[in-house]
Amino acid sequence: MSVAAAIRRKHVAHVVNGWRLLRSQPRFKVLFILVFATACEIGLWKLFADGFDFLERFGGVAGMIMARLFSLFYMGMFMMLVMSGIVTSYATLFRSDEMAYLLVRPLPVKLVVVYKFFESAYLSSWAFLFIILPFVGAYAVHLHLGFRFGLWTAVFSLPFLVICSGLGTIVIQCVVRWWPRRVGHKPLLLAAGTALGLGLWLAKDKVEAGEGTRFALSALIPGMRLSGNMLMPSAWTADGIQAFTRGEWARGSLLLAVVVTTAAVLTLVVEGLGRATFQTAWESVSEGGGRRGRPAAIFAWGDRVLGFLPGDVRAMIMKDVRTFFRDAMQWSQVLIFFGLLGMYFANLRTFHYDTYSPTWRNMVCFLNVFSVSAVLCSLGARFIYPQLSLEGQGFWLLGLAPTNMRRILLSKFALAIVCTGVVSVFLIGLSSSMLKVGGVQVVVSVALVGCVVLAVCGLSTGLGAIFMDLRQRNPAAIVGGFGGTVNLVLSLGYMLAAIVPFGLAFHLRAADLIDETFLHRSLGFSAAWCLLLTAAATAAPLVLGVRALRDRDY
Amino acid sequence: MIEIQALHKYYGSVHAVRGINLSVPKGEVFCFLGPNGAGKTTTIKILTGLMRPSSGRVRVGGLDVQTSPLEAKRIMGYIPDMPFLYERMTVEEVFRFTGDLYGVASGETEQALMRYFDLFALLEHRDVLVHDLSHGMRQRLIYACTFLHDPAVLFVDEPLIGLDPYTIRLIKDLLREKARGGITVFLTTHILALAEDIGDRIGIIRDGDLCALGTLDELRRRHGGRTLEDVFLGLTRPEGRP
Repeated sequence: MSVAAAIRRKHVAHVVNGWRLLRSQPRFKVLFILVFATACEIGLWKLFADGFDFLERFGGVAGMIMARLFSLFYMGMFMMLVMSGIVTSYATLFRSDEMAYLLVRPLPVKLVVVYKFFESAYLSSWAFLFIILPFVGAYAVHLHLGFRFGLWTAVFSLPFLVICSGLGTIVIQCVVRWWPRRVGHKPLLLAAGTALGLGLWLAKDKVEAGEGTRFALSALIPGMRLSGNMLMPSAWTADGIQAFTRGEWARGSLLLAVVVTTAAVLTLVVEGLGRATFQTAWESVSEGGGRRGRPAAIFAWGDRVLGFLPGDVRAMIMKDVRTFFRDAMQWSQVLIFFGLLGMYFANLRTFHYDTYSPTWRNMVCFLNVFSVSAVLCSLGARFIYPQLSLEGQGFWLLGLAPTNMRRILLSKFALAIVCTGVVSVFLIGLSSSMLKVGGVQVVVSVALVGCVVLAVCGLSTGLGAIFMDLRQRNPAAIVGGFGGTVNLVLSLGYMLAAIVPFGLAFHLRAADLIDETFLHRSLGFSAAWCLLLTAAATAAPLVLGVRALRDRDY
Repeated sequence: MIEIQALHKYYGSVHAVRGINLSVPKGEVFCFLGPNGAGKTTTIKILTGLMRPSSGRVRVGGLDVQTSPLEAKRIMGYIPDMPFLYERMTVEEVFRFTGDLYGVASGETEQALMRYFDLFALLEHRDVLVHDLSHGMRQRLIYACTFLHDPAVLFVDEPLIGLDPYTIRLIKDLLREKARGGITVFLTTHILALAEDIGDRIGIIRDGDLCALGTLDELRRRHGGRTLEDVFLGLTRPEGRP
């Protein structure tokens, strides 16, 4: 049997046994996850469908926007998938235990790299499927596109996924292989990166100045011009699907050929890079012999700053801080999440959102509160919830230490609040300032995000203790388990319940449907409701979490 | 069967392996000892092709591990100290998958399955998921998979961690038997009694330097001491430590 066939058979065994494992899980747990996933899909579908109806009401320009929306969606997917490809490829190529297992077998390195690259594309495809299904469904229903639209979307999406993942894999292969490790090289790289960024910025301004009003639509919808740029794989994909749906076979076939051949070429590049550089890159990541931790001075400074805390609490906090900063997978994901939001908020004036009417600015402001809160929910589920379980076999050290479970849990809670709180409050302050919204709204936005930080940290820390699984070493399995799903559902539910009343009150006032007095009354009611909800969502899981930690056997 | 010439490995500024020269003939059980961080695992990783040396040459079965990695890997078996197994595969599926990776014909895999599953008492667990196996059962499966393709050279990193006395005896007897049958065994361990028990020759590494090499009797004669423990501690004890 060929190696490729063996690996294929291994994957079939994984799927079959995964089903077997699923059947051994409690029915309620499986049902809960299925219901939640289905509800999410239906909710997304409804959201997209309502959005399209909303756009339709504007007539004129809305028709043009609808026609370009598909390209815009694929461009968003393209960027998201390349980012996801970078992160998942790093995990599958450089951090997976399987890699060492495969490298000692008589398999060519390039084959192993290509296999792990496809695995990374497969892992990325879940998120893609989860978002594309409701979007394509709503889009097809809205524009009365037939079955062919779905079919061609499926045909194009496969090579499109390979292209995105391929780019991500190539980027991470190059970064790991050529990332400067010598003293003095990093500032050089930083300077080169800054110069490149500045150059691109200046070039962009020049192009924009030269185009005049030729492409007014792109000024209205950010990214519209880029999404139609025929150098973008997302443009080939979106255009190709639409061409086939319209029955333009020649154009559709040409674009399909472009997408497929690009995917093939990128696979060859991944293979070539794998053959030429992978072993060296993998060694540099896996060998720990000469690696030194980050400059101890930073952590020593942290120890001094936290000097006012009791020794055991300080030690636990600094242990978590060290672990976080020494794990590139962790800080890079946080950087991507918050970095993208930061870039978007900092560019709000570039998109001229600050010149919109108060109604729109209010809506954008609350959408930004939603964005930050949704990112907080994801980070809570991904990083805060599994941190107690990830103590794993090391938990005996904490369990035997002359401290108590309450302090352990509260120290983790406090650290989570400080870390997420500082960034979130800064981001939402930036957003409000860029939008030039009123003082009351700034205070409400910042206070709302503060409440979400408290509640998400409380829920994630508390539920992490209640559903702690010390045997599991894989964070994805912890997050994807029953407790992780409950945590995510409750966090998202809290977010909606806390923010919507405020957003609604401001929106009704901006639309002149209620007067100032009613606004103040509504805000007072919303604030009381939010505080009550936040107190419950923060305290209850923590109290139950402490009890669970105290009562369990280790 | 194993030839190491002027082997050096640097991790940045750390000189982990310092010019090791070593030759292990066919059918020998060679025990590679050393304190933690002395360079044992690095050496074994270079020998198995998981790492590349900074300089020097390594040949296994006459094949250069750097220039002919696939051919070299085909004749070797490696049991790391923390082995990886596919959690979502059954015992039998993992075994057959290993056979496929080494290109073993399905008939031969079937015969090997019966032989080794019987030897390691895995027959009744063949449909159990690896996820549900105890540590000892996992170790047995790893040994069974490693012997499946009849390697000419076997590298074992800490072979007895977490095993019960019955399995320890089984592994020791098996390694001896395999060596008698012509397999070269290169193992690292901290259990000095194991080295005394099954090692034909012993090498001791300290700070990346092979500081002693020979049979147990030769080591005792050259470096003094009644037992291997005396020799080992005498050679590797850091200055100032009792």
